[in-house]
Amino acid sequence: MTPHLVGMTGVLFRATAFMALFAGLVLAAVPVRAETPDVALAELLKQARAKVPQDCTQPNIDRLVKILCAKKIRFGIRDYYPLFATRTGDKREGYEVDVAQAIGRMLGVDVEFVRVNAATRIPLLAEDRIDVAIATMGHNTQRDGQARFIRPHYYRSETTVVGPRELPVASMLDLPGRTICVTVGNGSNAELVSQGARLMLFDEAGVLPDRLKDNTCTLAAQDDSFFAKYFTDDDFNARYFQKFGFAQVPWGMAVARTGSAELARALDLVSQVFHRDGLFVDIGRLHSVRLGFLRQQQEVWRKPECNTDTGTTNPNCVLPPLNAALQPTSFAPEVTAFERWVDARTDIDIALPMLKTAPAWSLFKDGVAYSLILIAGALAATLAFALVLGAAMGARSFLLRWPARLVTMTLQSSPIVLTLVIAATIAHSLFALSTETVIGAAIVALGLANGSNAGQAIGEAMWSLRAEGVHGGLFGRALSRAATQIVAFLINASKGTPIASFIGAPELLSSLTDITSFSSGRVTTYTILLIFYTAVVMGVVWLCGKLKRVLEQRQVAA
Amino acid sequence: MSELMERLSSDFLPKFLAGMAVNFEIAAIALVIGLALGLLLAAGRLAGGVLTAITVSIISLMRAAPTFVIMFFLLNAIPRDATLFGVPFALSGVMTVALSLVPYSAAYVADAGVDSIGHLRAGATHGALLFLPNVTRAFFVLVMSSSAGAAIGVTEGISVILRQAEQLPDFGDRLVLFAIGILLFGIPLQAGFILMSLFQRRFGRSTVEEEASA
Repeated sequence: MTPHLVGMTGVLFRATAFMALFAGLVLAAVPVRAETPDVALAELLKQARAKVPQDCTQPNIDRLVKILCAKKIRFGIRDYYPLFATRTGDKREGYEVDVAQAIGRMLGVDVEFVRVNAATRIPLLAEDRIDVAIATMGHNTQRDGQARFIRPHYYRSETTVVGPRELPVASMLDLPGRTICVTVGNGSNAELVSQGARLMLFDEAGVLPDRLKDNTCTLAAQDDSFFAKYFTDDDFNARYFQKFGFAQVPWGMAVARTGSAELARALDLVSQVFHRDGLFVDIGRLHSVRLGFLRQQQEVWRKPECNTDTGTTNPNCVLPPLNAALQPTSFAPEVTAFERWVDARTDIDIALPMLKTAPAWSLFKDGVAYSLILIAGALAATLAFALVLGAAMGARSFLLRWPARLVTMTLQSSPIVLTLVIAATIAHSLFALSTETVIGAAIVALGLANGSNAGQAIGEAMWSLRAEGVHGGLFGRALSRAATQIVAFLINASKGTPIASFIGAPELLSSLTDITSFSSGRVTTYTILLIFYTAVVMGVVWLCGKLKRVLEQRQVAA
Repeated sequence: MSELMERLSSDFLPKFLAGMAVNFEIAAIALVIGLALGLLLAAGRLAGGVLTAITVSIISLMRAAPTFVIMFFLLNAIPRDATLFGVPFALSGVMTVALSLVPYSAAYVADAGVDSIGHLRAGATHGALLFLPNVTRAFFVLVMSSSAGAAIGVTEGISVILRQAEQLPDFGDRLVLFAIGILLFGIPLQAGFILMSLFQRRFGRSTVEEEASA
């Protein structure tokens, strides 16, 4: 070999080496074509299978390996959630059932179903009694701390407001003043409350369609997934309509937070593939669930940037959990400590939700303030109407007397709930809907209902005094004579103020009902309410007792 | 008016009357329980000593507790799967409203009962019989108060009217419907009050004569 040739070979070698190095640097700097989720899943399963059977007896192996060892995956699933998971004998049907079966096939293992409900689905994961929960579970920030959610999500529901077709309700703007039947603890209740709707609470969603049919509820709000089955019934569909939807929440499968990292990763990839390949859409179509979200997700997971093994961590591809966390009050830790202290010493499980979150605390403070305003207003209105109607009914002129009697008789014949509704209807036709309007209408209604009765007593006292030959200072003496009746109806007015919540007055009963609709502690909450109103009424009784004594002393002096 | 009649559903009147029957049913239950409890309280109040003090306090609390709040308390404090001596104790809507009215009816009966027993001890039998019209008055107050059940979904008279009103788009029609409701509630109420007044007048006179002769 000549030196020239040697030299040429060296140059070529160095040039080739340089190009290879350059290519390596370029490849390192610019990502290569990403690995598909299918490849990543296959690799993950291969690694897990490689541990079987030798690692099967190890104590801390991942649940994925345990599943492969047992050749069986345990799904926590609902027994009765129409269209999603139902059970008739040993036969299970529904969208979630078929998704679970498809996952079993993908992993090459049998599927075992374990019944769960809303309360047990997360605890059973933590207790290792199920491997995966696929049980109509909304993914929110609160639950993120309790379980590892699989993303992409396999469904998305929203709260839908259902009512008779002829009812003119089309959006949140039509809700103020209307009563909506909801279930306790539904996350969207707070939003309905903030729009001025009144809530009627039920423990179970299952009763809502029946309550719509028997007219107990004019409107009902619940997950659209819940009502989906009912709208497949021709009769229900002919009578009712989904007015609008809000509060969308993604549904996720979930695994335990510890010891399930590989299982979670495998399910993430499976879910990704199912979306991309349209399997979720196919299964959804088979069970008549709404396909809008599933079709939209199919588009997302077909995009090159999402169809990678890292797609499930790409914020442009996956949906965030619903932010359900309520801002705590500054003294929430002390309140929690107090609850524990009471529980430890008395074995009484109290809950004070109105003191623990900022929205609840705000509702509570406003409720107390509005209740006191309402009571003061109702007392003043009762007294004012009593004096006016009493003077009119005691007047000699029949032009004054008979209209006053007619008004009194009408008010006596109207149940207080109806009187309140009439007052609210008239107020709404005259003024824009506001808290002040509702409180004002309630004060007038309570004042008229009680003031007319007290006024009747004053009128009768005036006539009895005339019959006894008394003429001077007749009205003042009549007040003294009717003192017992006046006081009785003043007390009645203060006792009646919680009924104002029926027309949407934001007093304490209304506020606490709203608070319990999105938090726990109903028993403690309503006990506090009962104590509050009883104490306030007893205060009014005490004050009225003093008023009565003053009036009676005047009578003695006269 | 005739247009309103056309808009009212054909079964409005039967439904309303059935609803009013529920109002009377609630009032009857509340009164029966109130009578039993109230007469016991009246006896306790007349017993003297500590028992009187305790009974007076209980009656004061019962008088002060608002019916509407008690109703919501019962609705929310008693679990749906509650049992009493092993027997399911879930309250129906009607029973919830009826029990919420019991503190009022019991306190009223206790007061009227004490008056009656006082008359009896004085030998005024007719005066003691005034207990009956007083209880009748309480019954009609309870009928009117039972409309609170509308707030928890009990299908009583006012609920039927309010549901019908929601279907009426016209403000005037709604007011006419409310007036019909007042009229339908007012007829039995006013008739009851008239009967009671006649009864009271009759026994009032007898009582005065009786006490004068005693």
